[in-house]
Amino acid sequence: MNIEATQLEKAVLLKVSGRMDAENATEFDRACDAWIAQGAKHVIVDLNGLQYVSSMGLRSFLAAAQKLKSDSGSLILCGLRGLPRQVFEMTRLMSIFPVYDTAEQALAAL
Amino acid sequence: MDTAFQRLTLPAQVESVRKFQEFARNGAQSAGLKSEDMDMLDLVLEEILVNIARYAYEGGTGDVEVAYAAGAGALLVEITDRGASFNPLEAAPPDLALGLAERPIGGLGVLLVKQNVGSLRYRRDNGRNTLSFRFPGEQATKEAFF
Repeated sequence: MNIEATQLEKAVLLKVSGRMDAENATEFDRACDAWIAQGAKHVIVDLNGLQYVSSMGLRSFLAAAQKLKSDSGSLILCGLRGLPRQVFEMTRLMSIFPVYDTAEQALAAL
Repeated sequence: MDTAFQRLTLPAQVESVRKFQEFARNGAQSAGLKSEDMDMLDLVLEEILVNIARYAYEGGTGDVEVAYAAGAGALLVEITDRGASFNPLEAAPPDLALGLAERPIGGLGVLLVKQNVGSLRYRRDNGRNTLSFRFPGEQATKEAFF
């Protein structure tokens, strides 16, 4: 898994690519925690390059979203496709995260 | 279906999951599974094996075995450990209707397994837990759910 972070005016954009599994999902937790500690309110996660995610990854997205929401922020997803999209649909997580096709659309909605 | 099982035994720990996934992919290729099914098979194996790594040998260590038999277009898979008796099929299903703040973190792994395999069965004998299933399980899953 690779995480590329970009600080934008209204949000932090995290591009997550590769495979997110039980062995490495905590890297995402640490990245989010670090941005939240620096005062980030909104985190846009671009998953266009994500090939695989297991329930450990879902757990990380949920945890980050709950932390951000508790401080009036949000975790916004975009670029979901392939197996990750299937996994989000099967667990009905699509309906509890704001989901956009692209990062540009996600940003425009903030 | 050729029922000669290929077997691999490794320590029940998260670090073994990728080796088991590679092992099962050999069977998936022999069975002629579609490439998009390969990642789903990885997912099913990870969900089951991470549970075993976390809970089967609490306070100790032990092994887990993955066995598969490759047939035309499908795999039969059996996963066996000698840890504490645990039937994941009896775990309470997570409430998928809850909103973000109330959604419990976890509990989704077993759900993903159930949704993506067929003929999922658990048995306990001679101090061993064995979970067996057919992959992919589209037909069986449809029968089970509808």
